[in-house]
Amino acid sequence: MIKTSVEPWIEGPLRGFVEEAGVSLALLLHPSGQVLAQHGFSRAIDIMSACALAAAIHVSSAELGRQLEGRPFSGLHHAGTERQVFLAEARTRRGAYIFLTVFDEGSSLGLVRMYFDEFCVKLANAAPPPLDTPEPMLTENFERDLNRNLAALFGRA
Amino acid sequence: MSTPFTPVLDSLTRQRGVRASLVVSADDGITVDSNLQIGQDGARVAALAASLYRKARKSAQAAGLGSTGFMQMEAESGRLCVIGGDEIVLVVVAERTANVGLIRVEMLRAAEALA
Repeated sequence: MIKTSVEPWIEGPLRGFVEEAGVSLALLLHPSGQVLAQHGFSRAIDIMSACALAAAIHVSSAELGRQLEGRPFSGLHHAGTERQVFLAEARTRRGAYIFLTVFDEGSSLGLVRMYFDEFCVKLANAAPPPLDTPEPMLTENFERDLNRNLAALFGRA
Repeated sequence: MSTPFTPVLDSLTRQRGVRASLVVSADDGITVDSNLQIGQDGARVAALAASLYRKARKSAQAAGLGSTGFMQMEAESGRLCVIGGDEIVLVVVAERTANVGLIRVEMLRAAEALA
């Protein structure tokens, strides 16, 4: 069975967002590219690709925002011919996360932005206190952690 | 800041009982211009009203009723009136006691001016 989130406190806010906004795909990840929660993906490889790309786009657009406006852009939207992508940062006391969602004509940018704001509030309220000794994000542990999270989402843990 | 939509919105908001008027992008549900009273959340109204209107248009087409013109929703303490086309949707939030006939005429005029 495919699970929604690696950590249970994310599940409620993410489920609420997906139901209300009517999006087809949603992904919450750590800025390093580690997946934390997903909706709509059926293959681990797609999540890995989406996480890597989302993390890279987020850091690039943040830097572009800093250079242009002196502060990072708060969100990014790309409209394709049939599907649209929205990428933004969700802040909690556990730290900042990257949120990526894909939607089609069944939803709209206005709805996605509105429900994303609600998602951020719910996520911030649901977030447990920060860990006393957070585990450092080491390059050598990255693949191990990624595989552990994907295994948890796809019922192989 | 004045936009090409400002005179249209001003004229709608002058109607008795009209609390807010908005020009909204039909596909995105994003506010293009608005005339709101203090305390109203224009972004939420715009996103939800545009979504509602889009679905109403699809429902009318699915039922074989053709294109949708004026849409009105009655709520406990007011009305939501929407009229639009493929690109722009005009939204009016009015009190329950407002003259809907008059608002409808003004909105039709405004829609023509925006077309």
